[in-house]
Amino acid sequence: MSALKRFLDKIRSATRSFLDKAKRNAKLFADKIMLLDLFAGLGITFKNMFKKKVTVQYPEERWEPAHRFRGMFRLDEDRCIKCTICARDCPIDIIYIDWHQEVNPETQKKEKLLDRFDIDVQRCMFCGLCEEGCPTEPKSIWLTTKTYELASYDRWDNLYVDMDELQEWKTRPAYTDEEIA
Amino acid sequence: MTGLLESVRHALGDTLFYWAFSPVIKIVLLLFVGLLPLISYLTFAERKVLGYMQARLGPNRVGPWGLLQPIADVMKLLVKEDTLPARAVKWAFILAPGLVVGPALIIFSVIPIGPRDGELGHVNWFITDVNTGLLFIVALATIGVYGLIIGGWASNNKFSLMGGLRSAAQMISYEVPQGLALVGPLMLGGTLSLVGIVEAQRDQHVWYILPQIVAFFIYLVAGVAESNRNPFDLPEAESELVAGFHTEYSGMRFALFFLGEYANMIVVSAVATTLFLGGWLPPFPHLLPGLAVIPGPIWFALKAFAFLFAYIWFRGTFPRYRFDQLMDLGWKWMIPLALLNIFFTGLIKLWVSGGFH
Amino acid sequence: MTSPFVQPFGDESLGDNLLNRSEEMELNFGPQHPSTHGVLRLKLKVDGERIIDCYPIIGYLHRGTEKLFELHPYFQNVPHTDRMDYVAAATNNLAYVGAVEKLMGLVVPPRAGYIRVLLCELQRISSHLLWLATHAIDIGAMTPFFYTFRERELILDLFEEYCGARLTLNCMRPGGMPHDLPVGWIEKCRVFVDGFLPRIDEYEGLLTENRIWKKRTVGVGVLDPQVAIDYGITGPMLRGSGIDWDMRKQMPYEVYPEMQFDVPLGKNGDTYDRYLVRMEEMRQSNRILRQCLDQIPEGPIMAKRPRVMKAVKDGEVYHGIEGPKGEIGFYIVGDGTPNPYRCHVRAPSFINLQSVPELCKGALIADLVAIIGTTDIVLGEVDR
Repeated sequence: MSALKRFLDKIRSATRSFLDKAKRNAKLFADKIMLLDLFAGLGITFKNMFKKKVTVQYPEERWEPAHRFRGMFRLDEDRCIKCTICARDCPIDIIYIDWHQEVNPETQKKEKLLDRFDIDVQRCMFCGLCEEGCPTEPKSIWLTTKTYELASYDRWDNLYVDMDELQEWKTRPAYTDEEIA
Repeated sequence: MTGLLESVRHALGDTLFYWAFSPVIKIVLLLFVGLLPLISYLTFAERKVLGYMQARLGPNRVGPWGLLQPIADVMKLLVKEDTLPARAVKWAFILAPGLVVGPALIIFSVIPIGPRDGELGHVNWFITDVNTGLLFIVALATIGVYGLIIGGWASNNKFSLMGGLRSAAQMISYEVPQGLALVGPLMLGGTLSLVGIVEAQRDQHVWYILPQIVAFFIYLVAGVAESNRNPFDLPEAESELVAGFHTEYSGMRFALFFLGEYANMIVVSAVATTLFLGGWLPPFPHLLPGLAVIPGPIWFALKAFAFLFAYIWFRGTFPRYRFDQLMDLGWKWMIPLALLNIFFTGLIKLWVSGGFH
Repeated sequence: MTSPFVQPFGDESLGDNLLNRSEEMELNFGPQHPSTHGVLRLKLKVDGERIIDCYPIIGYLHRGTEKLFELHPYFQNVPHTDRMDYVAAATNNLAYVGAVEKLMGLVVPPRAGYIRVLLCELQRISSHLLWLATHAIDIGAMTPFFYTFRERELILDLFEEYCGARLTLNCMRPGGMPHDLPVGWIEKCRVFVDGFLPRIDEYEGLLTENRIWKKRTVGVGVLDPQVAIDYGITGPMLRGSGIDWDMRKQMPYEVYPEMQFDVPLGKNGDTYDRYLVRMEEMRQSNRILRQCLDQIPEGPIMAKRPRVMKAVKDGEVYHGIEGPKGEIGFYIVGDGTPNPYRCHVRAPSFINLQSVPELCKGALIADLVAIIGTTDIVLGEVDR
């Protein structure tokens, strides 16, 4: 009796495995013949036709950079204490600072005056190390946020920026401290 | 409209009207109002549709929604410098673009856009009804290959030559499945004339895509390979070594090659529409008789545009086949399938008509 | 300078039979080419369409980075590291500052460690997205390029919010981080992380099961595991051949010991396996990101470090981390001054590029494009 049962079990498992394999092969076969993989790809591109487009229509719409964006420089000569840390920290040595000491006639104290503060923007990589090194609070040199359109028609307009230009750059929001996360 | 045509017919006499005036008008209309603007706007449609599939807008600066973009492109190509490589073979260099565009445009003389004696005053909506229309189409498509070979060779550039030869080899090897696939609807329709096949579809109340789905698929794939489009565009892919046979061409000559490629696309779409999708016939003529109000040519255009959309869709989705895999596909899979299709179509036709005793 | 070209194709014992002669042509896969991912030049010897030999010529992007390192103090060199593998700047930064910290004996506070891992995993996803874009477009599929760049824009926006730049980040310093995370950054990052997995499925739907893709990539560029180890190849190229070596698991750094993730391995070492490995790595990076975002602690972000960082005289250190392309390592020798004495970079793309001549012997030119794509080289790293 148990031999018969074992025989029937064997037949049942054999048929089950055969059907499973046939089902799998049929599925593979149908997949290859019916080109389901190709249709899946076509479906994805078709669906994407109706989704939102990511184009920003420059120059009518402009991308607003983040608050910490490292754009063009600004200098504030009044706050600057002429420590030249920014010139020292620059990885490519493009900040040129000259200062001298004078006695201020009003306060009768010695103070530093800035002769030259030029930045060679040709080589600047806008890394922000000068801004990080500046010890004054708020900083005297900073990379203005949101100024990324620096193109001009004349080469010498933008490539070597001297002290006056650095201060009168476009009025853009200055760098301030913000809360941390 | 009808009155004007009648008066012209009286003036010219019957023979001259039907054999000279009418075809000339149709050819002019076809080329200048139909095909050439269609080809230019097909390039624009491709850029737009491809852009939409890729989550970006296509060109939209020139004109409203960018609709004047093809005109800007044509003008740019017209004023570009016409280079001729130093040691190129001059006559062949000049002839090659013409050999590519010419046959593609000529094929349109036999494709029926609408019925015989159809709307708008009993006009035949085709230029001529050659009674070996299908053969004519296949023959002209083969001539188009000459343009590629000559263009690649005439440039005196070994990369162009390689690209041109690869392109030509690809096109020749897909001519065979294309031709064999066309035999299926031919057998069902009983005539080589394209107008006859559409009328047979109308009389038999079935569009041949249904009984001939395999032939349809083969014809579509072979058509994509014939026009050197993605996924079969290795010979002209930008990221490969050569820009194909049209490396040395610039300006209007390049524009002609480009035009030829798109004209080929339209030809394949038009022939597929005629043979498989019932040409100018509206769908479900018995269930929805109201659809017959829309004239035949509009239906033809809709169906052909569906195929053109499919072309652009394929370009946006699929990677490229490698050249040997491409040839593999053509010779080892498409041809046997097409032959089997012919065999079974024949069998079924014999069975249906009671040939088996 | 002789190049190791192999014997011409064909059996010489059969004589000068016309069928047996090979028509060798030397082809220059030049520095300006759409699919060499930069300025890589390959001199190919081809017989018809088959490549017999391939000789890479590099150096078109050499900028003397390793010499530049010697001119400035340690913390000023971080922007130079950005520009080596310009696609994955954060991992370069991390390797460098990790090496400097090892040299100086600085201990990074835990919050800084978590922020570093966050940035590195984001950078890994971004680098793999770019790899997928260029690889797919070389093989002919145009649309994954646009879809992946859509996601990459989100990652670059996150970077921009954090450190102010999108590509050349300069976001780490020896000892910790320069800025803390701004308000709302963690929420934005979470939005990205939650929405990213369906996108990977979208790319996979376009490519993974596609028969054309499989035909182009299965069996192409098979890298034998032993050959890979001999060449010193690391990264997804090594893992695609089945070898389980990931620096984040073998020699963990930063807070990786606390992260749970799997390392995907390939089976056959062909292009398809490497593709699957990189796709799965993106998913695992997503998983790590989620854990980081959940577990990030409060605290300081910069270690206590001396004002002028002087290295120990004759101190030398090597620190390698798992970048998206392989193991990126810095070997720094200090000499008691604030500037390094020597700083050598173990660039993974440079070492992985060695395998390209091996992989493309006997392949068709169309396969060469796929092979360069799967090696995932960035010429900035190769040439430094």
